[in-house]
Amino acid sequence: MPDSYDVIVIGAGFAGPVAAKLCADAGLKTLILERSENIGDKIVSGLTIPFYGFLFGPNFIRDGNPPFERPADGIINYIIKDIDKGDIEVDDTLKIPKPFSPIIAFGYNAYCKPFCQWEVKKALEAGVELRTSTTVIDIIKEEEKIVGLITDKDEKIKSKVIIDAEGSQGILAVKVGIRKKYPPEAISLADVYDYEMPKDKIDEVFGHSVKMCWGWDEQKIAPPLGHGNGLMVWPYRNSLHFMQDQSLRLDGKKVPNLRRKFDMYHENITKKLPWWKEKVDPHIKTRARLWQGFEIYVGLDRKLRNMANYTDGMILIGNAAGLESTELCDGVPAAWISAEIAAEVVIDAIKGKNYTKEFLKRYDERIKAHPLIKWSISGTNRYNLRFAQEKHDFKLLKKYIHDGWGLGTLTHVTTPLIQTGVSIISKDRTVLSKWIKMYFRYYQNWFYENFDYSKKSLYQGKLTKKLRFYQFLFKASLFSLDSVIEFSFKLRKIYKWLLIPCINSLNKALKIIFPLFELFYSLTLRISKSWADKYNNKLIKFVELSNPSLYN
Amino acid sequence: MVKTSKAFPGIEWVEISDYFIKIKEDQCTGCGQCINVCLGGCFVISDKKAKISSLEYCMECSACWYVCERNAIEFNWPKGGEGFKSEWG
Repeated sequence: MPDSYDVIVIGAGFAGPVAAKLCADAGLKTLILERSENIGDKIVSGLTIPFYGFLFGPNFIRDGNPPFERPADGIINYIIKDIDKGDIEVDDTLKIPKPFSPIIAFGYNAYCKPFCQWEVKKALEAGVELRTSTTVIDIIKEEEKIVGLITDKDEKIKSKVIIDAEGSQGILAVKVGIRKKYPPEAISLADVYDYEMPKDKIDEVFGHSVKMCWGWDEQKIAPPLGHGNGLMVWPYRNSLHFMQDQSLRLDGKKVPNLRRKFDMYHENITKKLPWWKEKVDPHIKTRARLWQGFEIYVGLDRKLRNMANYTDGMILIGNAAGLESTELCDGVPAAWISAEIAAEVVIDAIKGKNYTKEFLKRYDERIKAHPLIKWSISGTNRYNLRFAQEKHDFKLLKKYIHDGWGLGTLTHVTTPLIQTGVSIISKDRTVLSKWIKMYFRYYQNWFYENFDYSKKSLYQGKLTKKLRFYQFLFKASLFSLDSVIEFSFKLRKIYKWLLIPCINSLNKALKIIFPLFELFYSLTLRISKSWADKYNNKLIKFVELSNPSLYN
Repeated sequence: MVKTSKAFPGIEWVEISDYFIKIKEDQCTGCGQCINVCLGGCFVISDKKAKISSLEYCMECSACWYVCERNAIEFNWPKGGEGFKSEWG
C-alpha cells in the first residue's frame, strides 16, 4: 500500500512551504518533497522582497519574525552615459522619504536559505511532513488523472492534489504536459556574486538602498538594455549580493557567449565604476559565485501568460507558474500570493472531493485576475529599454528607468496596490495596525540582529516617562486608526459608488498630473528636510528603545 | 564525495550517481549554443556533436535545455541530495 496524502507540495522554496502550511492549518495531511539535502541548498537569488509581499502575503509571515538581512528603503539608479569619462546620471527618486525610512521599508533584503528554512519551520509546526533529498521523477496517472507521484527512491506516494512549486524550469510540469517549456527569450540567466563587507562600510556606502546601474550596450559594462538587468547590488547585514543578468537569447538571434560576456561585464564595471572602485572594492572579499535562470519575460507574452497552470489533480505555483516580476525581477510576493490562493482552492477541492481540472481552474483564474500579480508580470519598462538603445536616445532611457525604478513607478503601481490593500482591509478591519506593527517589529529584528536584545546595551527594559508616553501614543494611534476603519465600514455603500471607481482610475489620473505631482513631491521633500531628519532620528530611537511587546 | 572549485567559490558539489543531463546525439546539430550559455563549462564539441565533458560544476540552471532548438538536451533534476549546494543563494 503506497503512502497517501491529501496534498503533496513539490519544492521547499518561497512558495511551497506557504501552500503546505495553509493546507495543514486546514487539517489536510500534507507532505513537502524537497530535492536538496538541506532546505535552501539550491536557491539562488539576489533579493529584496518588496513590501507588498509582506503586507498582502501570508498572515504568518506578516505577523512573524522572518530572518532578513537589511531593510531596503529604495533604489538608486546610476544611468551611465560614458563610464570612461565618468559621465553618470543618478535617479534616486524611488526612495521612501525620511522620517519614515528605513522603518517603513520599501522591502527587505534577505538570503534565501535562512528565509526558506524559517518558512519550512512554520510549516512543520503546522503539522506538515517533510522529506528532503527526494527528487520527484514522475507522476502516477489513473484514468488520465494525476493521483500521485514517484520519487527517485522509487517510492510511490498517492495524493489527492499535487502543488508543484519546483521553480521556473517546471521540469515536471512540462513532462506532465501542463505547460510548455519557456522560450530562451523569456529566461534571464542571473550571475550572482556574494561579497563579504564590514557592516560599517555598507552603512556608509549603501545605507539602506539597492543600487542599480544601466548603460549603453557599446559601453560593455552591463547586459544589453532591455534584455536583462544592468547591474544590481543589494546590501545585506555584513555582505553584498552583486547580480547581472541577461536573456538567454535576444529576439531569435544566435545565443550569445554568456560565459565570456558576464566575465567581461563584471570586469569592466567593477574596474571602472567610480563608487565601486573607490568605496566598495577595497573592503570586499568574494565569498561565492552562483547563477540561475529566472523567467522574467513570461508575463509579457500573451501566449505564455495564458498557458494553463493546472490539470486534473495538479497545480503550479510561484515561478513554476511563470510569476517572476518583469520589472523588479522578484518572484517572492507573487509566489506567496499564488501559494495562498492555491491552498484555498485545494482546501475547497478536498472538502468537495473534486480534484478535476474544471474545479482547479478557479485557481488559475484567480491568480491571473489578481491585480498585483497582473501588474508585476506585465510591466514593460525593462523590455522597453531596448527601444531606447535602438534609438540611442538618452532622454528615453532616463524616462523608462524613471518609470520602472524611479518615482514614475507610482503611475502604474498605485491602482493595483490600493486595490489589493482595500480588498484585504475589507476582510480584516484591523489590518492597518497589523501592518504598522509589522514594520516596527521588523525594524527591531534588524536593529537587534534577530531580536538578540542581550547583545546590546541600549535596550535595558527600563522605561523613562517620556518613552512611556510615546508608547501610549503609539497604542492610542493604532486604536484610533482601527476605530476609523471600523466606523468607515458603515459607509461602505458610498465607497462602492465613489471610492472603487476612483481607485481604478488612480493610475490614469496620476499619469496626467504626474509632472505637477513630482514637482510638488520634490519641493515638499526639500522644505521638510530638516524637520524630517530630526523626526527620523526620534522615530528610530523610539523603535530601538521601546518595548518589543508593543509590536506583537 | 564533495568537490569545490576555485573559479566558483562558496559552492560545494556532491558527487552525482547518474548524469541528469543527457544529449540525444541523433538530434544534436553541434551548434554550440549549450556551450555558450553554460557558465560551468559542462559541454564540449567533438565530432560536430555536443558532449558533456563533466557535470562537476553544473549549477542546474537548465540554460542548456532552454536554448537547445532541436530539443537534443534532456534535463532532469539530479537525484535527491546530489549536485550543487550553497549557503549564499
